[in-house]
Amino acid sequence: MKNLSKLSTLIALAAPLSAFAAETGDYVRFVSCPVYRDADSGKKSGCWLADERASGKRYDVSQSPYKPDWNRAVLVEGLVTADSTAPCGSTVLNPVRTSILSEPCQRHMLPAEGHPGRKFVLPARNLTPLSVPRKPPAGPFAARTFPVFFEFDRAFVVYQYSDFLLDNAAQWIIAAKPAKVVVTGYAATDPESVSGVTLAERPEVALERAEIVAESLRRLIPGLIIETRMKTGAKPADLPDADGLPGQSQRRAEISAEF
Amino acid sequence: MTLIRFRPLLAAAALLVLAAAQKAPPPRWWSPGEGRSFPATLDYANEHGTQRSLLVGGPMPTKGHPFFEPIGPNGRACVTCHQPADGMSLSAATARQRWDETRGRDPLFAASDGSNCPSLPQSEKASHSLLLERGLIRIQRPWPVREWQGKPVTPDFTIDVVRDPNGCNSGEKYGPKAGNVSVYRRPRPVSNFKYLLAVGFAYDPKQGIALPRDPDSGAMQSGNLMADNRARNLREQMEDASSTHLEFAKHLTPAQIDRITDFEMRLYTAQQVSKQGGALDSGGATGGPAKLRDSEPGALGSIGTPVWSEYAAWEKISSEDAAKLTPEQLAFRQSVARGARTFRDKTFLITDSSGINSPVGFGNPVRNSCVFCHNMAQMGNDVAPGQVDLGTTTLPYADPFDDLPLFRITCLKAPHPFYGRTFYTYDPGFALTTGRCADAGKITLQSMRGLAARAPYFSNGLAKDLRAVVDYYERRYNISYTEREKQDLVNLMSVL
Repeated sequence: MKNLSKLSTLIALAAPLSAFAAETGDYVRFVSCPVYRDADSGKKSGCWLADERASGKRYDVSQSPYKPDWNRAVLVEGLVTADSTAPCGSTVLNPVRTSILSEPCQRHMLPAEGHPGRKFVLPARNLTPLSVPRKPPAGPFAARTFPVFFEFDRAFVVYQYSDFLLDNAAQWIIAAKPAKVVVTGYAATDPESVSGVTLAERPEVALERAEIVAESLRRLIPGLIIETRMKTGAKPADLPDADGLPGQSQRRAEISAEF
Repeated sequence: MTLIRFRPLLAAAALLVLAAAQKAPPPRWWSPGEGRSFPATLDYANEHGTQRSLLVGGPMPTKGHPFFEPIGPNGRACVTCHQPADGMSLSAATARQRWDETRGRDPLFAASDGSNCPSLPQSEKASHSLLLERGLIRIQRPWPVREWQGKPVTPDFTIDVVRDPNGCNSGEKYGPKAGNVSVYRRPRPVSNFKYLLAVGFAYDPKQGIALPRDPDSGAMQSGNLMADNRARNLREQMEDASSTHLEFAKHLTPAQIDRITDFEMRLYTAQQVSKQGGALDSGGATGGPAKLRDSEPGALGSIGTPVWSEYAAWEKISSEDAAKLTPEQLAFRQSVARGARTFRDKTFLITDSSGINSPVGFGNPVRNSCVFCHNMAQMGNDVAPGQVDLGTTTLPYADPFDDLPLFRITCLKAPHPFYGRTFYTYDPGFALTTGRCADAGKITLQSMRGLAARAPYFSNGLAKDLRAVVDYYERRYNISYTEREKQDLVNLMSVL
């Protein structure tokens, strides 16, 4: 009886992912071919759209920190918003992530069709220029872990998202002077069916993530003692900078400072 | 009696001769070892006006100076390919003039890299056609790449020679099978290094990693020194250049490196006077090298001083100021100001360009303007390491060249993000440094200063003049510039 109850809860959670139109706050996850809408509100203003084939719903996925390539399929993960302005003409997902997959897509561009798009706004997670003096983090310092997040199956530190998180960790480490730093790369290797496509990250991407983060730390903090580890089968974690997106939280590296 | 009668005339003539001698421009060609002094201010005319080099703390004697002395056996010095009259680069026109003046005997035409290939008959002009027609120097890179940034590298691509019109990529001595690849590139300007070495942020967004450290100073590297970013600092650039271009068998001494560095870090070069627009530091504009000398380097134009705002005052020229100008000068200045606006504000869809559309996260396509990449205030190079692929060296975007070698690149792991598994290039660029297929075709953005004096443009001399630069971008990205916008951009580039 208890198991049945659990199952019904899981089914209820999964329902918005496929057959039914998602409602505000729902988490949607699907694979699709992206569509670029050339809504010209200046630099970086174009709209990215993606259709969830199971529901026939088109979403505005423009606010992902890493954006699609119109030549390739994209894994969309996002939360449905109540944004009624629809500047790109579709229901807005935000927060949202769009991971580029290897499957080719027919590139497709829509005209603005009266949709204004969004004027570019500097993301909250942006790096401070070196010329700007920074206030070092204040102590006391104790063991702490900093996550850095990645696109699906990639180990690239994304501009104005992952680099910001990595840099915050580095600044803290410079101030805290831990005895050692352990960087653990995670990979979501357990296969999942999304939009009829089986998705699983390569196990080796876990180590690639650890290594790329560790190399950045070595360059930023010469002499820092760093150890790298890897973990496959990553599970979702409650991490604020994953913005409440379970898939994003799985694809990470963790920088752990040990004293 | 006669002499007395003509004495005033003779005196006047003598004064004129003296004045002419004082104002006579210095000889355009700087031969290695000639020993003249490098003045604090050095002006040279070009087709767009006058370019000026300022040597902070100058003048400087060049006698015995390693930048100016032929320290190797081939008679060349650094100055051979970095001529003050050519914006510290070398124009194809100057190379042709030098050929004519010396009947091809100038050390510039050294067989090693001043000819299409050392195996060709060196006395024949045709053997030097790439230098004479497009200002290209042969660059021989080792193949396969074995090391970069102090770490071992195994290339993830193969390189096959499809066509070898010059013979320097085939046979027993040359080509991938012999352990090297020859490509042909323009000499990059040796001036304004304060900017080219500046670091704005601690990360390279194109590589997704923190900037590497200079092996000597420990400072972060700008990544903006050479077309393929193979040198980590000026020392490595000098050592590379002295061993290849000067055929210097020994190592530069620390004292020589210091002296060259000292000279290069004190030198600022920019257009000072426009033939059509007059003095570029007049009417409220701040063109010319003094602004470069006096500004802080490395600032992102989008969050500080906008790129090419040196000409912002010419956007609204008062009627009082306009009255002091000829109609042609007024129109030209207004055009330059519009060009700066177009450069910053005219957006277009940037597509399929690695280093921009992949893997940074901007998406493919991304709407932006010229200043997206040419983003450093005062200079127009990239604040981040500037390795991007505009397609200038790689098919299908590069123009057809039957005089350049053509290579087939095959990616062994992931396909190139935009060209696929197999593609064709005249110059793999940055990939010859990193060994990564995804970096093929990437060329480091360079300074936009001094353009008026150093045609042709792009790393392989694809654009014969400034208009051809605009035309390349137009056809590559389908920008739909109006005719007026094109001319405004040309005029802007002519005054940088």
